[in-house]
Amino acid sequence: MSASRASASPAKRKTGGSRTFYERIEPWLFLLPAVIVFAIFLYFPFFKTMYLSTFLTDRVGQAVKFVAFKNYTDILSGTRSKEFWNSIWVTVRFVFFVTLGGITMGIITSLLTAKKFPGNAFASAIFAMPIAIASSAASMSFKMILHPSIGLLNKILGTRINWLNDIRYTFPVICILAIWLATGINFIFISAGFRNVPDELYESAAIDGANGWHKFLYITIPCISPTLFFQVIIDVINAFQTFNIVKILTLGGPMESTNTIVYSIYLDAFRNYRFGAAAARSIILFLIIMIITLIQFRAEGRSVHYQ
Amino acid sequence: MTAEVRNSSPRRFTRRQRDAAWTCLRILIALPFVALIMIPLLYTFMMSVLPADELYVRFLPSHFDFNSYLQVFTKTMIPRHILNSFIVAGSVTILQMITCSMAAFAFAFLHFRGRNLVFMCILATMMVPWEATIISNYLTVSSWKWLNTYHVLILPYGCSAMGVFLMRQHYLTFAKELHEAARLDGCNNWRFLATIVIPLSRPALGALGAYIFLQQWNNYLWPLLVTSSDNVRTVQIGVASMYDVDSEQINLMMSAVVICLVPSLSIFVFMQKNLINGLMAGAVKG
Repeated sequence: MSASRASASPAKRKTGGSRTFYERIEPWLFLLPAVIVFAIFLYFPFFKTMYLSTFLTDRVGQAVKFVAFKNYTDILSGTRSKEFWNSIWVTVRFVFFVTLGGITMGIITSLLTAKKFPGNAFASAIFAMPIAIASSAASMSFKMILHPSIGLLNKILGTRINWLNDIRYTFPVICILAIWLATGINFIFISAGFRNVPDELYESAAIDGANGWHKFLYITIPCISPTLFFQVIIDVINAFQTFNIVKILTLGGPMESTNTIVYSIYLDAFRNYRFGAAAARSIILFLIIMIITLIQFRAEGRSVHYQ
Repeated sequence: MTAEVRNSSPRRFTRRQRDAAWTCLRILIALPFVALIMIPLLYTFMMSVLPADELYVRFLPSHFDFNSYLQVFTKTMIPRHILNSFIVAGSVTILQMITCSMAAFAFAFLHFRGRNLVFMCILATMMVPWEATIISNYLTVSSWKWLNTYHVLILPYGCSAMGVFLMRQHYLTFAKELHEAARLDGCNNWRFLATIVIPLSRPALGALGAYIFLQQWNNYLWPLLVTSSDNVRTVQIGVASMYDVDSEQINLMMSAVVICLVPSLSIFVFMQKNLINGLMAGAVKG
């Protein structure tokens, strides 16, 4: 990769004599602002979260008493395990449906705009547009659309369903909004993958007498599999971290049916001031995301085709 | 494919007719998807201009009533929130352009011990989800008495792994000879970065800037946690707190949503190509 190209270029240039003190520290001066920001706002808090997760904390988040893994065992098997495992189950289903829906939307929209037609540029712009839309603002619009008495959806369907407070509908509705918001990024990356499939492959397949479906199955899909793989990882990570739409539309309800892990972390830390317990949840979520990403990278070797 | 078809049984349609039919089919299938994305946005706009007495009866207004926009600007705190959002998003954008360019310059042009290690450490931060740091960050900044300030919204976003990575990828495409030649002419690294590298990477910087601005403009959770005063609250929080189905409030709320979408959508419209290419450059090598 490019990193090896850069490091392979000779570091020992003969500039005559050894480098001065300033020359040796100069690279670090360039790096200083970045390193300060990462150290203070990423590395330090990350380790502090691990540290806090082994403590009982007071209302302002000061570590009060070392309890080792009690915060973890409380969540995993203790008094609060039922709520925790529910949040895991909600999140896993949410991630699955949103990733599946996002990738499907990405493929459909990319296929639709793959060939030139009048209005192609307009359609492409519309499909990419959700990347610019704030999930909080979109949630406000959807809150109106889904309103039980004056919302657009009930008026169109002629129903009076309480979309955001009916255990049968709320979860699917939240998934659909998340897919809607993810359409932009899925379209952009997947359609770029389609464009990068070399034309020669299609031409030689045509000479061999392949029909459109065969070409899609044996050329397009293998060629865009790295893109799809990359996009699945992005979608999974994004879905795991979805917070705004739950906070604005459902507050985790009804009956915790949309209480994702991320929302439960927020409740624990910033509503109930149980910072230690929330930190433990965060670390568990971090481990889950890391393990899933690693599994995906291992699975990649078997199923993804690189040219 | 066409060659094969030509040899088979006599066709009823010419090739041109078939292509036209495919195009029509494509448009027909594309339309519902375009509508799916557009309808929520159009509906929001319609609700914002619907005269109050038609609110519960119609979807399409008999005439556009922009009164609610006037009210958002005169009777709510939204103008202040918009100003705050511009200050915060603008500062973060400028700050990140500077810090990311500098760090990327060191990684792409300079040679020093531990370069790859530091680069890996910065890339690794992409894998740390925000919820693993946000609790500690909140506790830290509140112990510093930073709540309700601009800098608490700006400084934590002072640099990003994504930005460093994107800029480094771009700098690696520069010829090494450029750096050598500049040095021989007595141009030091700082001047080389400021007067040659940065002007030459305007498209990449523009894409990065648009991306950061969008991200900051749309940021919700961090401002929600660390601000409580209208003087520093950003527009997303302001809009989200306006929810009320009072008939007067609906217009107001939907107008506020439209107003806060305008800056981000305009950036998208004007920067679309640049933005997408910029993001792709990072993804392809990632």
